[in-house]
Amino acid sequence: MIPGNKDNRDGYLFALPFLIVFVLFMIYPLIHGFFISFFKWDILSTKVFLGLDNYIKLFSDSKFYISLWHTFKFVLITTPVLLFLGFVMALFVNSKSPFKKAGENIFFLPYIFSMTVVSTLWAWLFQKQYGLFNHLLAIINIEPVGWLTDPLWAMWSVSFATFWWTAGFNMILLSAGIKQISREVFESAEIDGASYLQRVKRITIPLLKPTIVLCLILQTIASFNVFGQVYVMTGGGPYGKTRVLIQYIYETGFNYFKMGYSAAMSYILFLIILIFSVLINKLGESNYD
Amino acid sequence: MKTKKLFIALFIVMCCASFIFAAGTKEMEEGPIEVSFWSLFTGGDGEYFDAIIEEFNNTHTDIQMTTDTVKFDNYYTKLTAALAAGTAPDLVVVHQARIRNYAPSNQLLVLDDYLEKIDAPMDDFVKSPLEACMLDGKIYALPLDVHPIIMYVNVGLLKEAGVNKIPTNYEELISAAQAVEKKTGKMGIACDNTTAVYKAYTLTRLFFSMMHQQGGSMLSSDNSKATFNNEKGVVALKALTDMVNKYKVTPKGLDYDTSVNSFKLGEAAFHFNGVWATGTMEKAEGLDFVAVPLPGLVGKPAAWGGSHSLAIPASKAVDEEHVNAILECMLWITEHGDMWAKAGHIPVRESVHKSAKFKALPYRSDYADAAASFVAPPATAAWSEIYSNMSDLLEYAVSNNSNPYTTLKEMEKRVNEIIATYN
Repeated sequence: MIPGNKDNRDGYLFALPFLIVFVLFMIYPLIHGFFISFFKWDILSTKVFLGLDNYIKLFSDSKFYISLWHTFKFVLITTPVLLFLGFVMALFVNSKSPFKKAGENIFFLPYIFSMTVVSTLWAWLFQKQYGLFNHLLAIINIEPVGWLTDPLWAMWSVSFATFWWTAGFNMILLSAGIKQISREVFESAEIDGASYLQRVKRITIPLLKPTIVLCLILQTIASFNVFGQVYVMTGGGPYGKTRVLIQYIYETGFNYFKMGYSAAMSYILFLIILIFSVLINKLGESNYD
Repeated sequence: MKTKKLFIALFIVMCCASFIFAAGTKEMEEGPIEVSFWSLFTGGDGEYFDAIIEEFNNTHTDIQMTTDTVKFDNYYTKLTAALAAGTAPDLVVVHQARIRNYAPSNQLLVLDDYLEKIDAPMDDFVKSPLEACMLDGKIYALPLDVHPIIMYVNVGLLKEAGVNKIPTNYEELISAAQAVEKKTGKMGIACDNTTAVYKAYTLTRLFFSMMHQQGGSMLSSDNSKATFNNEKGVVALKALTDMVNKYKVTPKGLDYDTSVNSFKLGEAAFHFNGVWATGTMEKAEGLDFVAVPLPGLVGKPAAWGGSHSLAIPASKAVDEEHVNAILECMLWITEHGDMWAKAGHIPVRESVHKSAKFKALPYRSDYADAAASFVAPPATAAWSEIYSNMSDLLEYAVSNNSNPYTTLKEMEKRVNEIIATYN
């Protein structure tokens, strides 16, 4: 802003195009979604007001709990691993290795593919009869594994594909954080005889804490919102063993047209994600001081 | 300042221009009547349907059809939204099982009066598919096809195994499959029982068929509760679980794509699937197979079947001439069912069944009789949720060889719970 100029009108004017789109396609649907969560509505017929019925019904719906548990399982599997992988990759691309540039490109490359491409690719790699992995196993005489069709493996396989796909994003964030740490700190530690691991443990990790907390929040939100990979790779199968909450929300809303119930579930998920984000943020702050 | 003026001038010119063009299109309507159409057909189906429309447009000067294909995955989401917003096209494809989702809220035009006025050849329609498009005695759509589940048989493998009769019941099917496995080492029955990219719907389709083969049903006649938790249900369920667990003629963990591919590659003796797989199978080189109506595995012949139907959104009723044009398209398309049969589907007009063009198509005429034993899914809005839940539960039962009594009890409970949410 120009000093002394208190007239913000043209500022608002320039922000207007974005604001209109934001309000129309983000804020309005959010509010409207909350509104319809109190109704029974199939889009075509008139809305019937139910009060809190949709929310009450949720708590006795076993499919809701099971799907929510599957989402939690995915969050618990992927969040720590993705952070760890991203961190190791970030360390590598900030090391003195001659391959660090190549590494940076290779690690980030999968992230630019769309979800459908990644999922379809991995669905074929994991395929039981014709997939590459089972083909390799067959060479060493191991029976084919139902990577996506065996309830023991399915969620892990989807998670594995997700590691490959998104770890590179965490790497970029963490790597940017590492680059911000002053060189001198590392150099003096090195002169004092600190080993590489000591430097990582005593310098990199503590100074990187704000970025790690940010990464953790972003990753938790992203993992809670898992849907596409599961939907394309396993379809929620075998027998619903990998059906995550968003898939249940999607099916309820867009296959069975129970819009109100679907909206109510979305708001519960929103609340859960909100609580987790706030908790992680608080945790990060208290450690930071 | 100068540029600003220039912009204003340009803006005015553009506004005027768009008015002129808009007026221009209005006057164009003097030409042929346009019928817009949304198709859910993609892949092989889509090509055949496009050919039908092209042929229609080539042979008609007064009516022209314009098409738009919507991906099947979100077809019904888009259709529902478009109906609600009043922007739906003139002619829509609706699965017969979905008519119930739209008819009660008056989204689809009741066709009886219009059909009567133009003296449509209603007697030419095969009865059961047409009845499946009716609710409370009113016609909401015209059937385009039926696509029941049928049995694909690899004749070459059967010969190799010394089986020279196509099985007509469950026992014969199992012993033929066992003979093939023993003599050739190939898969007995390729029938998907695990969800991968697609849900294991075949299990529900077969369970449904076998209930009807014994004279039973899935839901009560008013669709208010489940009616499969009984001895008939046990027979149907055991037939599915035994195939995998007792007789081991179908491998565990078989998904839809693998099931189709196994048969296509000549690695399986039998394959259960809808008629739509015919196109894929006949393209497989060196595959010596026949496609027959689903045999009465546990009773008289009866087969689950879907049916595509053609309907008109209720909002089109304002212009009768237009409605008649849409009806003409619908009747013409069904009349040329032999073109659509190339995609594997069974036509629903008697005249098509008798036509030389249809009879000349390989395989199709072999299973055309399946139209007679076709059983439509119950006409209830709850069906698609029931269908998908049943598939999950049956998949669980087959994978874990669960006790049939507890499985049926669990399925009955789930289905009744679902029905309750639609009231």
